[in-house]
Amino acid sequence: MRPGTGRRAERLAPYVLVAPAVLIIVVLRLWPLLLGVNFSFTGDGALNGTAVGLDNYRDLLDDPLFRTALRNVGLLVLLLPVAVAIPGLLATFIYLRVPGHRLFRSVYFFPAVLSPVIVGAIFNLLLAYDGPLNAVLGGAGIGPVDWLGNPNVAIFAVVGVHVWATFGMALVVFLAGFATLDAALVDAARVDGASLRQTIWHVIVPGLSRTIQFVFVTTMIGLLTSMFGLLYIMTSGGPEGSTYLPEYYIWIQQGQMNRPALASAASTALFVIMLVVGLLQIGLLRRAGRED
Amino acid sequence: MSRVRLGRWLIAAPMTILAAATIYPLLFTANVAMKTRREYILDRFSLASTLHWENLTTAWNSAGMARYILNSLIVVTCSVVLLLLIGSMAGFALGRVRFRGSSALFLVCLAALFIPFQVIMVPLARIMADGGLIDTYPGLILAYVAQFLPFTVFLMTSYYRAVPAEIIDAARIDGNTLYGVYRRIMLPIGTPALLSVGILNALFCWNDVLISLLMMPSADHRTLMVGVTSLRGQYSDDIPTFAAGVLIAAVPVLVTYLFLQRQIADGVTAGATKG
Repeated sequence: MRPGTGRRAERLAPYVLVAPAVLIIVVLRLWPLLLGVNFSFTGDGALNGTAVGLDNYRDLLDDPLFRTALRNVGLLVLLLPVAVAIPGLLATFIYLRVPGHRLFRSVYFFPAVLSPVIVGAIFNLLLAYDGPLNAVLGGAGIGPVDWLGNPNVAIFAVVGVHVWATFGMALVVFLAGFATLDAALVDAARVDGASLRQTIWHVIVPGLSRTIQFVFVTTMIGLLTSMFGLLYIMTSGGPEGSTYLPEYYIWIQQGQMNRPALASAASTALFVIMLVVGLLQIGLLRRAGRED
Repeated sequence: MSRVRLGRWLIAAPMTILAAATIYPLLFTANVAMKTRREYILDRFSLASTLHWENLTTAWNSAGMARYILNSLIVVTCSVVLLLLIGSMAGFALGRVRFRGSSALFLVCLAALFIPFQVIMVPLARIMADGGLIDTYPGLILAYVAQFLPFTVFLMTSYYRAVPAEIIDAARIDGNTLYGVYRRIMLPIGTPALLSVGILNALFCWNDVLISLLMMPSADHRTLMVGVTSLRGQYSDDIPTFAAGVLIAAVPVLVTYLFLQRQIADGVTAGATKG
């Protein structure tokens, strides 16, 4: 090889190395995002390809199923602090070396590696009307609850299962955050006679603010985008559409109802919701961090 | 001191109950999988009197699980190999080579991290259909690579950023081209990160349902997790066989977890601490 071409090949080398990744990401992730937004302003069926303005968005807001999905998103946002606090508190205890902490760590993390489909299938058995959970509650004199059949209960049952299945992820992230925390501070607080609550509130929470922020955002993303498997196998959106979430709505409109443009409008709405919720969270948590 | 001890045990008690609640659903399923239908209907909780292993073979044979598992293995293996190859090439270039436009290209990869699959699935399905890739292995593999590549590039870039520049300079002086540096130095050095990211990607792909449902809809091409969802209808009146199918589907991941727990946890936390 002549030295000239060698040098030119060397100059191009980094671009060649990056090219496959960038190409795939641009063509199959960024481009579809634009395509989808554009698509949401066109019609379905006979109107395929023609511009219909905001009609799809109007249809969305008129659709009781989508309204339920939005209401459920609101519910998830309200439940978010609980879904973050549980692993946070458990991680704190493990960090403070409660007896058996090593075992707890690996046991709690284990459901997080199971597919939502497996988890959902297992809980289908456990939560059945004539299933074990109701048998146990019946033994304690609590009447049978139709966990997956009662529209007022089902969404809580599914979210509960999701939290059961994923709190281990957040727990492990919290523990990694603890590893960066100055242990001397915690020890000093304990020696000074601070109660557990004071230690958590005044030493651990401020010291872990970045980790907490990260867990808040990832838990929210998880609640909004990784419950499909559970919904698909546990409730199929029912009973009476009460467990719809935007991701399930998108799937139904695209795959079952053959309304891809409407599904695209729902996708765009989901993306906007996630952006708003994410930015709000970061803003709120930043401010809370500064006030401390 | 004794008061502190007591406090600790008071916390350990509910944590033990929670740990039991974490394990119990799986043990319950395993027990049900070993019962006869009659035994299950009479008493859900009793231990299986004799172990009815035949439930496992029934589920395995009549539900076609071997086919599902083969499909999953093909797709997951190809996806992970491609992810690691493409991800480490990009990670090396973006993390350790200075070239014009590198930070802009890194931003492109980073931005994709915040686009969930649900947001792009409709147009993606259309693109795949236009390319004749729906219901093919390459289609699903490509969809998985696209889905998990941003995360892989991000982690590999931060891993390679921490590699001392002297190592690369020395290799360059020895007459290696950039490709040579990647192949002879960066790939071996990257092994721990590639292992963590690879295991995590394998889990993500193996556990996925939505992408698989969308890209490989026909019964022949079902991956294992989609196959499990179809078990439900098939065995709605034969719970032990259903449980046996679920158990078979869970075993590969459980075994992986037992052996690679640390690597999985490392992969999860790398995303958090590097972020």
